[in-house]
Amino acid sequence: MRVPSAVSVTENLNAPVGVAVVEYLRAVFGDNILHEQVTCDRIPTLWFAREDIQHALTLVREQSFAGKRFEMLLDLTAIDERVRVNRTGQPASEFTVVYHLMSFSGNSDLRLKVPLFDDDLHLPTATVLWPNANWYEREVWDMFGIRFDGHPNLYRLVLPPTWEGHALRKEHPARATEMDPFTLDDAQTDIQQEALKFKPEEWGMKRASEDSEFMFLNLGPNHPSVHGAFRIAVQLDGEILVDAVPDIGYHHRGAEKMGERQSWHTFIPYTDRIDYLGGVMNNLPYVMAVEKMAGIEVPERVKVIRVMLSEMFRICSHLLFYGTFAQDVGQLSPIFYMFVERERIFNIIESICGARMHPGWFRIGGVAQDLPQGWERRVRELLDFMPARLDEYDSMVLNNGILKRRTQGVGVYTTQEAFDWGVTGAGLRATGYEWDMRKQRPYSGYENFEFDVPIAVNGDCYDRCAVRVEEMRQSLRIIKQCVDNMPTGDYKSSHPLTTPPRKEKTMQDIETLINHFLSVSWGPVIPPNEVSMSIEATKGINSYYLISDGNTTSYRTRIRTPSFAHLQMIPAISRGFMVSDLIAIIASIDFVMADVDR
Amino acid sequence: MNWSLESAETAAAPQRGGSEMDEFIRRNVMMVKLEDMVAWGRKNSIWPFNFGLSCCYVEMATAFTSRHDLARFGAEVIRGTPRQADMIVIAGTVFRKMAPVVKQLYDQLLEPKWVISMGSCANSGGMYDIYSVVQGVDKFLPVDVYVSGCPPRPEALLQGLLLLQESIGKQRRPLSWVINEQGIIQREENQVQRVIRGPERIAATELRSPDEV
Repeated sequence: MRVPSAVSVTENLNAPVGVAVVEYLRAVFGDNILHEQVTCDRIPTLWFAREDIQHALTLVREQSFAGKRFEMLLDLTAIDERVRVNRTGQPASEFTVVYHLMSFSGNSDLRLKVPLFDDDLHLPTATVLWPNANWYEREVWDMFGIRFDGHPNLYRLVLPPTWEGHALRKEHPARATEMDPFTLDDAQTDIQQEALKFKPEEWGMKRASEDSEFMFLNLGPNHPSVHGAFRIAVQLDGEILVDAVPDIGYHHRGAEKMGERQSWHTFIPYTDRIDYLGGVMNNLPYVMAVEKMAGIEVPERVKVIRVMLSEMFRICSHLLFYGTFAQDVGQLSPIFYMFVERERIFNIIESICGARMHPGWFRIGGVAQDLPQGWERRVRELLDFMPARLDEYDSMVLNNGILKRRTQGVGVYTTQEAFDWGVTGAGLRATGYEWDMRKQRPYSGYENFEFDVPIAVNGDCYDRCAVRVEEMRQSLRIIKQCVDNMPTGDYKSSHPLTTPPRKEKTMQDIETLINHFLSVSWGPVIPPNEVSMSIEATKGINSYYLISDGNTTSYRTRIRTPSFAHLQMIPAISRGFMVSDLIAIIASIDFVMADVDR
Repeated sequence: MNWSLESAETAAAPQRGGSEMDEFIRRNVMMVKLEDMVAWGRKNSIWPFNFGLSCCYVEMATAFTSRHDLARFGAEVIRGTPRQADMIVIAGTVFRKMAPVVKQLYDQLLEPKWVISMGSCANSGGMYDIYSVVQGVDKFLPVDVYVSGCPPRPEALLQGLLLLQESIGKQRRPLSWVINEQGIIQREENQVQRVIRGPERIAATELRSPDEV
């Protein structure tokens, strides 16, 4: 039964694709659409029954709407709704599965939801439609205990195989100190190690083909070239890679569960550590999502400060990628040069924010404090210093013949494959598809900046590197415009939900003082709503999907990270290559394990 | 053992009356107890294991690169396998899923071996009191030095390394399983840095304003 909403989901929707898809689904499903939910991010949100969801997803996947298609399954997650209070108008549900689809050609989003009940937690898989649904569904099984019928390998993805319970269910303890103390004796170590053992049969792999016996090579979870606590089991025929199984979860810090415990304000430092090379850029989608729910408009100066710092961190992250990429294919020295620039940028960041890697410096409704006196000089020094160095690196790395031979034509994928696997960011642009959130959906005032979106054509390891190198130049351009045109004004909004609120009037009247006290001690209360906010992060589209239940903490914090999607693609792009190519492919992806496992 | 480098200009020239042989001995022969010599060697030739868990590893890598240059302290021979290393820096969060792996890697390090716990997560779980994180690596490994910070600056890691070296220099170990009593003899107790540096830190009354770079 369809519950009519007060406002239509298509009202105020400026994307014609969004209107077209909703009208199409209305025409096909009629009253079988359980509910049309209006959220403050204005993404059309339709509820379908379990019986209809696969049909609906198939139609969305295969049809075109106003001439445009929904190419990507951006995110797939679930919500434990059992203790949620503010669900007005939404169909009864204990666990809701959420599909977030994205149309790149039509620049539009669509959200589909399926209500489920605790005694009957299963629904059909979407892996037949989008290959990247595989890991997302495994994660939902791992975290919520929802089963996907027809999924090829529904094993735990993130938590250890020996884990009991499903961590994102509300009854699962959040704190380690609420659980039994952790011990690790020799017997325990053996049990855990045994559980982590790679068994090819579980993955439908044969140990031998007609003419050869396969070798299984285990890389990680600690290996110098897998960039962190990441493991990949490789099936080899001689030195040719037949198949690979990435194994993640060695870096799971429970950030989403943390979001349900920390106040809106005190969760900000945790976002820094999601993509730990992205620093304050991680704060941006989170604070913008909260600001959207709270209805805060930030001053122009705040926007420009945020852009400037985000771009500095983009350069820092790309420099680290650049150095390690060269190192992984055998060039040992470039990274020593590139860390010089990183140090220069960290010096600036430190003088502005007071910390190097994780400043946690953005605030709901502003930034932590105003720019210090003399900041321009330091930034200008960087702008003068860096372009020549980047040119030098071109001749050192990008024009190096050996590096070219190691990376050109290796790990190639097309734009279509990128869409199928949820690849965004430089990995998508390297296939020749021009898409950058900063251009397509400008946020934080990016529409006011002049910059280009670099693309490449071949979609191989080399191109992914070349795109990022050019992005650093564009970031410098943006930073220059920030210095030249830094607006004057406040560094935080005057909205009452700004945290911490402005202090000038607190000593003048009691009302402001009380508000200030509550906002600082308990944290702000954000009105009930749902919002999803995406940015072009260092590694691709980073999106925060927040649900407020009208409380001082978030009801559900979903963090869609680019690296998670990118890692899943490794087997598909590395089959048929050699082990040394696999290292180049892994390096070219530019992932951070905290960004994968969160 | 007392030992220092001196530049060629300031080095004492051969004294009139002394034989060349005396000078040769003065410059090239040291009288020292074997166990002191070994301790000095251990102290100045730590081989760290290339091991990182999360954010802290980036700062640890920064300590290897040009500006901070760990090589100055004789601890730059980064090994890719634990079987060639004698020191592990637990750089980052210790996860429940990762803990048995860390334990195995530690077990494979060469004796004598040392552990630096780098950053709040490895020290105590830090800001991650969450189901998937072990609340400090000392729950299952013996730690020699704790470096605080989230993440610690590269300088902090260098200081931690120097403290570890100082401590190693004071340790005496049996030279073989047939010589001396077994077990580590710590010549002097390691002092708590909070106590040593407390007065100096408290003495700072005027802090630089954050309003200026």
